[in-house]
Amino acid sequence: MRSVCVVFLALAASTGAAGQQRVLSPRPEAVSVTVYRDPERAADRLLDRDWLGGYALISETRTIDLPAGPSEIRFEGVADSLLPASVIVSGLPQQPAEKNYDARLLSPGGLIDAFLGQQVHIRRTHKKTGRVTESEAIVRSGPNGIVLQTAAGFEALKCSGLSEALLYPKIPDGLSDKPTLSLRTTSAAPARTTVRLSYLATQFDWQANYIAMVNSGGRSLDLFAWLTLANANDASFPEAQTQAVAGTPNREQSDYDPVRSVSPTIQLQCWPSDDTSDIRNPPPYPPPPPAAERDGGDEGESIVVTAARAPAPAMVAAQEDLGDLKLYRIPEPVTVAANAQKQVALLTKNKVPFERVHTLPVDPSETTDGPHPVSIMIRMKNTKARGLGVPLPSGKVAVFETVTGRSMLAGEPQLEDKAVGELVELEIGESPDVTYELTETWEGESNDDGDPFRRYQLRLINARAKSAAVEVALAVPHNVRLTKPSRRLGTKNGYPLWLVTVPANKSIALEYQVEPIRLKNEDDEYED
Amino acid sequence: MRLVLLGVLLATGAGVPSAQAQTAQGDVSVTIYNDNLALVQDTRQMAIPAGRSRQEFPDVSGQIRSETVSFAASGTAIVEQNFDYDLLSPSQLMQKAIGQTVTIVRVNPATGAETREAAKILATNGGVVMQIGNRIEVLRDDGLPVRVIFDKVPPNLRARPTLSVTIQSGSAGSRPATLTYLTPGIGWKADYVTLFDEAAGKIDAQGWITLTNTTGTNFTNADVVMVAGTPNFTQADPYNQYNQYRPQPSPVRRAGTESGSRERLGDYYLYPLAERTTIANAQTKQVSFLDVEGAPASKGYEFRVEWGQNMDQPQSAYSVIKFSNSSRAGLGDQLPAGTVRAYMRDARGQPQFIGESAIPHTPMGSELAIRTGEAFDVKVKSTLAKRERILSSEWVRTARMRINSSRTGTEIVTVDQNLQYWRTTMSYTLTNARPVPVTVDLVQAGLDNWYHDTRVPSESVAGVQRSADERLYRVTVPANGEITVTAVFDTRY
Repeated sequence: MRSVCVVFLALAASTGAAGQQRVLSPRPEAVSVTVYRDPERAADRLLDRDWLGGYALISETRTIDLPAGPSEIRFEGVADSLLPASVIVSGLPQQPAEKNYDARLLSPGGLIDAFLGQQVHIRRTHKKTGRVTESEAIVRSGPNGIVLQTAAGFEALKCSGLSEALLYPKIPDGLSDKPTLSLRTTSAAPARTTVRLSYLATQFDWQANYIAMVNSGGRSLDLFAWLTLANANDASFPEAQTQAVAGTPNREQSDYDPVRSVSPTIQLQCWPSDDTSDIRNPPPYPPPPPAAERDGGDEGESIVVTAARAPAPAMVAAQEDLGDLKLYRIPEPVTVAANAQKQVALLTKNKVPFERVHTLPVDPSETTDGPHPVSIMIRMKNTKARGLGVPLPSGKVAVFETVTGRSMLAGEPQLEDKAVGELVELEIGESPDVTYELTETWEGESNDDGDPFRRYQLRLINARAKSAAVEVALAVPHNVRLTKPSRRLGTKNGYPLWLVTVPANKSIALEYQVEPIRLKNEDDEYED
Repeated sequence: MRLVLLGVLLATGAGVPSAQAQTAQGDVSVTIYNDNLALVQDTRQMAIPAGRSRQEFPDVSGQIRSETVSFAASGTAIVEQNFDYDLLSPSQLMQKAIGQTVTIVRVNPATGAETREAAKILATNGGVVMQIGNRIEVLRDDGLPVRVIFDKVPPNLRARPTLSVTIQSGSAGSRPATLTYLTPGIGWKADYVTLFDEAAGKIDAQGWITLTNTTGTNFTNADVVMVAGTPNFTQADPYNQYNQYRPQPSPVRRAGTESGSRERLGDYYLYPLAERTTIANAQTKQVSFLDVEGAPASKGYEFRVEWGQNMDQPQSAYSVIKFSNSSRAGLGDQLPAGTVRAYMRDARGQPQFIGESAIPHTPMGSELAIRTGEAFDVKVKSTLAKRERILSSEWVRTARMRINSSRTGTEIVTVDQNLQYWRTTMSYTLTNARPVPVTVDLVQAGLDNWYHDTRVPSESVAGVQRSADERLYRVTVPANGEITVTAVFDTRY
C-alpha cells in the first residue's frame, strides 16, 4: 500500500496533456462527516438502508506538494455520490482556475465508444478444442450493437454463436475507474500545502431512535435516544469527526447531477433471430446487496431491546446550536464505514414525569356504527423543571412498560422536532377498554331563522377498573357551530374541547347540536 | 487487483499517445445559455474542390439540433444540408442486405473446421431467411455457430449521426469554413458558497459558474462564454420547465437598479472564461466569477399562515439570511440564476452546511432574502379562535377599516340585508426557545378571495397590508419566551 503511494507521488513529476503537471492526492489525512436527514422522510418512517435520501457535508484535510507553475490536482478517495456543484477547496496559494468532475468511466461501453473507428483485436476461442484465433478489427459502430470490420469483411460481434472477445491496446484518455474530481491551479514556487476539500454527498441519512422506559408507578419515564446514522456510499470514512444536524435545511430540486448517468453501456444487438434474438449484457452495476433485515420495524425493535438493558452510555453526542439548526457532535472520531449503519447515544434523561390521557379527536357530525377505541397519549413538557429541557430531534419513540417484571412494548409513536419549552405529545396507541359511540339523535329546524340543526349524542364507555380522563376535541368545520352542549366546553387548538372523567366500569353520555353559524352575539354557547 | 490498477495508472501517467487525441473540430467557440442550450461555432480548415462537393462534419455535438445549422465558407454556396441518423447496427446491416449475397462461415463445433458458403438474404422478419444454393434456410436455426460476413456497409449507415453539407464552390482550395449550430446537452448555472457569520452580521460569498456537458462530444480548446438571462428559445428540454415552479416567495425582495461592469449582450450579461478550455463529455466544470468577503448580512424569520389555518402542532418558522448585492453595501455584482448554499461555523470553527436556496437572475442593487431552512427553536401556531356571522350594519361600520380604500370622493354604499358577512378571529402563538429575542415576519395570507374588501377591525399588533392578499405582522418574540397575536378579519366569505 505504502509503495503504491510512493509511485503515485513520483508520477507527480510527469507532465499532463495540457502542459501542466499532474498532482495526485490519494486520500485525506483527516475527515469530518456531518450527516443531514432526508428532508422528505417523515418522522415515523425508518431510514431505508437500500436507498438513503439524506446527505452529508464531508470536509477533508489533504496535504499536497504543489510544483511551480500550472498544475492539475486530482483528488481520489472522495465519496462516490459527490455533488460536483458543491465542491469547495480552500488553502491553495491561488484560487483554482477551474474545478472539473469527469464522469466518463472505464467500462465496456466506454471502451467501445472511445475506440469507435479505431483498431482493436478480436479473439475467438473454440469452445471444444480451445484453439484461439486472433485477428485485427476496426470498430465501425457501437456501443448499441457492435459492427466490426475485419480482413474478411463486415461482421457483428457476438452474433455468430462463437465465443468472441474484443481486446484493446490501451486505456483511452479521459476514462477513469471512478468519476474524478480535479482542479487546475498555479503556484509561484514549489510548495507543500494543506488544503481543505469539502463537498455535499448523497446516500447518507440519520435519525433519532428514542426508547422510553416507563418507571414503576407509571408517573415518570427514562428517556434514551440513539443517534442512528447510515452511509450507503462505497467509500468509508475512517476515524472521522462525525456530526449530525437536526432541523430542516432547505434543499433545492435542481441539486441533481446531470453527468452521472451519461456513461455509455453496451447493448449488444444482433439481427432478428428466433433463438438468439437480442443478446443483452448483464446490467452495469451489481444489484444492491440483500438487506439483512428487510422489515424496518424489526430493526427498530431490536435496537430498542438491547438499549433497554444497557447501562448508562460511555459516550453521548454533544449538542450545540448551528444557527437555527441543532448539531450533534460525536465526541471521539469514529469510522463511518461504507454501506453501514452506526449508533451512538444521543441523549439520556431519567425520571421524566409524564401524564397519561385518553384523547378523542372527532368530527362532531361523523357518526359511528358501533364502539370505536379512543387514543392513549403520553404528554410531557420539554422543560428543565419537568426533567427534559433539551431539543428533541424527530424520530420514533419506542415506549416500554414493565408488566409483572417483563418489559413490554406499549407503542411506537413518532416525535416531530420539539424545541425546549414545547409540549411533547406521543400517541402510543388505542385503548380497547375506553371506547366511544357517536349517534345522531334528532334533526329539525331551529326556531328563529329556519336553519336546520342536528343533535348528537357522544357516549364514552370505560371498561377499565380505573377511571379514565378523556379529552374530547370536536373538530368543528368552519361553516357550522356547536350549540347546546350538555357540559361546559373549553377550547384547544381552536376547537371546542371537553375534559371528561369516565368512572370505572361506567359510561357517560354527552350531547350537543350542530347548526349553521348565526349572527354574532346571538348566543355564546361556549367561550374560552 | 492493486497491481493491475497500478499498471493502468502508469500507462496513463507515462503519456502513452491518446486514443482520443485527434478531433476534427477546428477553432471552437461555445456560447452557453442557462436553459440547457449552447450555440457552437466551429471554424475548420477545409479543402474544398471546385464545383459541387459533399462535406461531412464529424465531431459535432451528439445532440446537435440539425435544423439550426448554418454553414459559411468564402466562395461557396450551399446546395443542400443533410443530417443522417440511420445508424449502423447488426440488425440494420442485415436488413439492408436483403437481396444481396453474404458469406457465411460455418464452424464445426467439435473440430473448429470452417466451411464457407455464399448465401442470399431473402427476408429478416423475426428471423433471417436465406437461400444457399437451391435450398432455403433460416440462419442459425440449429443453434450452431455461423459467422455472417458482409462485403460492405451500405453508405448511408453511420456509426454516429452525421451532418453533411453539399456545396458549390467557384474555386478549389483550402479555406476556413464556419459551422454554427445550437445543441442541448450543455448548460450552466451559478453556484454560490456563502459563509454567514451571525454574530458579526457579515457574509463571505464565492460565485462559481457550473457548466455541464452531456452531449456525448468533447469540445476541445474552446473559447467559452456564458449568457445570463433567459432568451426565449424553443424549449429544448420540456422537463426543464418543471423546475421553474416554486411555491416559495422569491428570494429577491427588491429588484436592484444598478448596472454592473460586465460585458453585455442586449439585456443579458456575458460571462466569458478567461482562457480557452476543453469541455469534455460527461464533465462538470466550475469556474470562479465572484469572491467577496465581509458583506453585511442579517438573519430573520418568516412564516406564512394560509386562510383559516388551525394547527394541531406548532410549525417552524423559516430562517432567512438577508443581504444585498449592491455595489456599496453588498456583493457588488449581478447574480446569475443558481443555487446559494449557506454555511456557518460550528463551535469548533468548522463550516457546516445550513441550507440552500435557488435564486433567479438578480440585477445589481437587489435586496435578497435566502430561505435556508426551518428554525428548530422558532415556531408559530395559528388558531382560528372564532368564526361568526355579522350584521350588515356592522359591516358598514367597519368600512372605515377597509384595507384597500384607494378610491377618493363620495361613495354610495348600498346595504343589502341578504348578504352574509363573516368575522374571523385568528390567534397566533409565536414561541422562541433561543436565548436571544427574534423578530418574525408573520404573514396572514388568503385575504383576497374574489372580494377585495377584507377589513381588519382589530389586531393586537399593528399590521401592514402588503397586498390585497397578505397582511404582515412584524413580531418580536422575547428570548426563551412566547407571544400571542390576535387579529380579527371581516370578510364576505
